[in-house]
Amino acid sequence: MEIEKRDGVTVISTDERLDAMAAPHLKETVRKMSEETSTKLVIDLAKTKFIDSSGCGALVASLRTLIKNHGDLKIARPSAQAQTLFQLTRLHRVFEIYDNLETAIKSFG
Amino acid sequence: MENELYVKIETEAELVLLRPLDLFVRNLIQQLPAFSNAEDVVDNVELAFNEAYTNVSMHAYKSKQKGPVRIEIFVRHNYLEIRLEDYGESFNPDEIREPDFENVGESGLGLWFMRKFMDDLLYKSEEGGKNVMRLIKKFPCSEGGLNLNPL
Repeated sequence: MEIEKRDGVTVISTDERLDAMAAPHLKETVRKMSEETSTKLVIDLAKTKFIDSSGCGALVASLRTLIKNHGDLKIARPSAQAQTLFQLTRLHRVFEIYDNLETAIKSFG
Repeated sequence: MENELYVKIETEAELVLLRPLDLFVRNLIQQLPAFSNAEDVVDNVELAFNEAYTNVSMHAYKSKQKGPVRIEIFVRHNYLEIRLEDYGESFNPDEIREPDFENVGESGLGLWFMRKFMDDLLYKSEEGGKNVMRLIKKFPCSEGGLNLNPL
């Protein structure tokens, strides 16, 4: 997992697999970030080929944590596998999802 | 019914084995001619196995009390079966409620994914504390019904 800051927006690039091994680390990282209020976060899934229920849960938990602290989370570049899961679980209506990382960053305005 | 292929793995249900086992299952299925042009079905079976193994290692066995898991893969005449046996805490899949898709939570999707992506899911808790989960996937493009072997 890589973290960088661009134009006041934090970008987390997740690794190849967002599963039960990776999910706790993502949740904890976002929880720590959220201590700073109004965190603007993009989770870039470009490298993530595989996501499971734990990964989806970590994204939901991250969004909730940030919103509670007046922040927000957007998702960029999900794989076809991730998009399928988001559609089936209707998470595509919960998250703002972008095909392009730059557009996701700029969407914070 | 004779198996066309049979694989058995016995180990401790450690979460650290999730990815190696997952990739093994994926690579094995990819080698089967019946799944050769069905990458999306391979994705689905991999996800179902991933959820089942995660469930055993994280929930059946609580984090500090590890136990054995036996993973068996049967390739039959027109379907694939992945069977997981553990001696941890059992559950009743029929009592697990469907996720609330109007308000998806942080957990509760795993069993639903298994059911969604496999053709059948059977679970049995036996005397002696053995729990058996069977994940069944019909070969893509195969015709005819499933004639499942009994446990």
